[in-house]
Amino acid sequence: MRKPLIALAGLAVGGAALAGLVFSGALNRSVVSSKVETPLTAEQIKQLAPHGAKVAAAADCYACHTARGGAPWAGGMPFETPFGVIHATNISPSPEGIGGWSRAAFHRALRDGIAPGGRHLYPAMPYTSYRGMSEGDVDALFAYMTTRAPMPVANAKNGLAFPFDQRWTLAAWNFLHLPASVAEPDPERSALWNRGRYVTEALGHCGECHTPRDLTQGLRQSQALTGAVIEGLEAPDITPTGLTRMGFSPASLATFMGSGLSAQGSATHQMFDVVHFSTRHMDRADLTAMAAYLFDRDALAEEAPPAPPTPAPVAADVTARAEKTYAGLCAGCHGAKGEGIPHVSVPMRGNASLRTASASGFVRAVLAGLPAQSFPNGERMEAMPGFAADLDDAAIVDLTNWMRAEWGGQAPTVRAQDVASVRATLTTRHAAGE
Amino acid sequence: MTALPKSENLSLTVNGKPVAMPVPQGVSMQEFLHEWLGLTGARMGCGQGICNACTVMVEEPGKLPREVRTCITGAHWFEGKTIRTVEGHARQNADGSLTLSPVQQAFVEGFAFQCGYCTPGFVTAATVLIERLKAAPVPREAVERVVTEALDPHICRCTGYVRYHAAVRDLVLATPGLVTA
Repeated sequence: MRKPLIALAGLAVGGAALAGLVFSGALNRSVVSSKVETPLTAEQIKQLAPHGAKVAAAADCYACHTARGGAPWAGGMPFETPFGVIHATNISPSPEGIGGWSRAAFHRALRDGIAPGGRHLYPAMPYTSYRGMSEGDVDALFAYMTTRAPMPVANAKNGLAFPFDQRWTLAAWNFLHLPASVAEPDPERSALWNRGRYVTEALGHCGECHTPRDLTQGLRQSQALTGAVIEGLEAPDITPTGLTRMGFSPASLATFMGSGLSAQGSATHQMFDVVHFSTRHMDRADLTAMAAYLFDRDALAEEAPPAPPTPAPVAADVTARAEKTYAGLCAGCHGAKGEGIPHVSVPMRGNASLRTASASGFVRAVLAGLPAQSFPNGERMEAMPGFAADLDDAAIVDLTNWMRAEWGGQAPTVRAQDVASVRATLTTRHAAGE
Repeated sequence: MTALPKSENLSLTVNGKPVAMPVPQGVSMQEFLHEWLGLTGARMGCGQGICNACTVMVEEPGKLPREVRTCITGAHWFEGKTIRTVEGHARQNADGSLTLSPVQQAFVEGFAFQCGYCTPGFVTAATVLIERLKAAPVPREAVERVVTEALDPHICRCTGYVRYHAAVRDLVLATPGLVTA
């Protein structure tokens, strides 16, 4: 009888201590210097804004802070999290957005995750990554954002369950997951690698999707960039091993990030938005630096792309059934030999989606299809129909295993439950083949 | 020299008639209809599954009919299936004359088509819509939307969309049982 009482008392004391720590401010570890207390002059804002546009693109602010079809920078984009739905906020310079924010307030929101009035931001806003942004880049971003058109759009209400709707608890989350200090340039590595790290980790915040999270939704830094599951789909391993597995070389990766297309296929699912709103607008030098960092190289030289995958063995009956499906439904656009049609459909031979650890992205495309997508320089890929109504799980298992083995060099390990779990995420319209 | 593709037997029902013959693997349904059966109504437009001039109706017992693009679908995918091409919509009378289907008649009366190249696809789409509405009628105020959704994937380079849309909408509203009270 006594033990539960003691545990309860312990919990109460712990909770009170936590609340005390939170409200005393002892957990607040700002990386924002007092220098930014001085407001920027109108002239400085004018000069900084063009660079701020580039920072905004590299940090991919627009993709989250603009609802599809909504007013630019006015927020409203919903995000399904394990704790409920969160909406991105209005960051245009209107009273509903960041209108009236000081330079210092903007710095603290971006790098400490704390908005004016001490309101904690939810970590859906990647301030743990932006914490590494330079003072100059944050100033430029502030200049750019405050010179956008103000959008009088009210912020949407979040649908978070208790206790996740209690913002003060995020002080404890920050204590666990917000790095105390910011990474300094590594003098052992080249300027290219260091720039790449800054672009990848701080601006691009790639780890927010590609690094797995722990139970409290903090990034597992020991497994940085080794891949994670986002909304049921794999954000693949983008360490040198993972990138090579997908068939990328540093040069083709930079091309892929800049254009959304390469011999490895096109950016699909959430990664299309990343390319569309962010990386295609980045300087080639930054894309090269990002590729150098992700491949952990100090310098990039001309190098041959990784060898095409060697077909993996697959059972004859699987091949026979899969070839029938492929000839019937896929070959018309992707070619009898998986060669694709330029400007219409991507090649499947060597396609990165057949080489990743998980087949979820590929299976999702087969079931639900993909919308027509525009890429830089007038390039375009046509819509892919979904085949949820035409193909049952067994047929998709055969097709996936055969294509992954034949053109992706992967062992045929996809099972019916892998397909079923992706199918469970489809809407009724997808399931009806519409 | 590349070897010719292997042939395989293909049996299906086209416009009510059984068809069975050896067809090389990898032949598209469009080629099969044109070159093997002489049915050239399903049109080759883009060849990439975008314009929908090539669609046919797939009618399976117990299921609602569906539109399938023949330019991007292999002939052998239709093994055992029952399809209707644009040639199969009008009824042939005893004296050899034709009675157009309600959709075809509506297109003629509404001057819906201009050059006519995309028309087979529009006939297919409108017929599939009407068959689906027979199974599941919609409220009157939803008619504009369902007609738009049904015809939307079809491209008409003469831009005759408005008359196609008006003809199908008027037919839906005039046919008993397609609209709920």
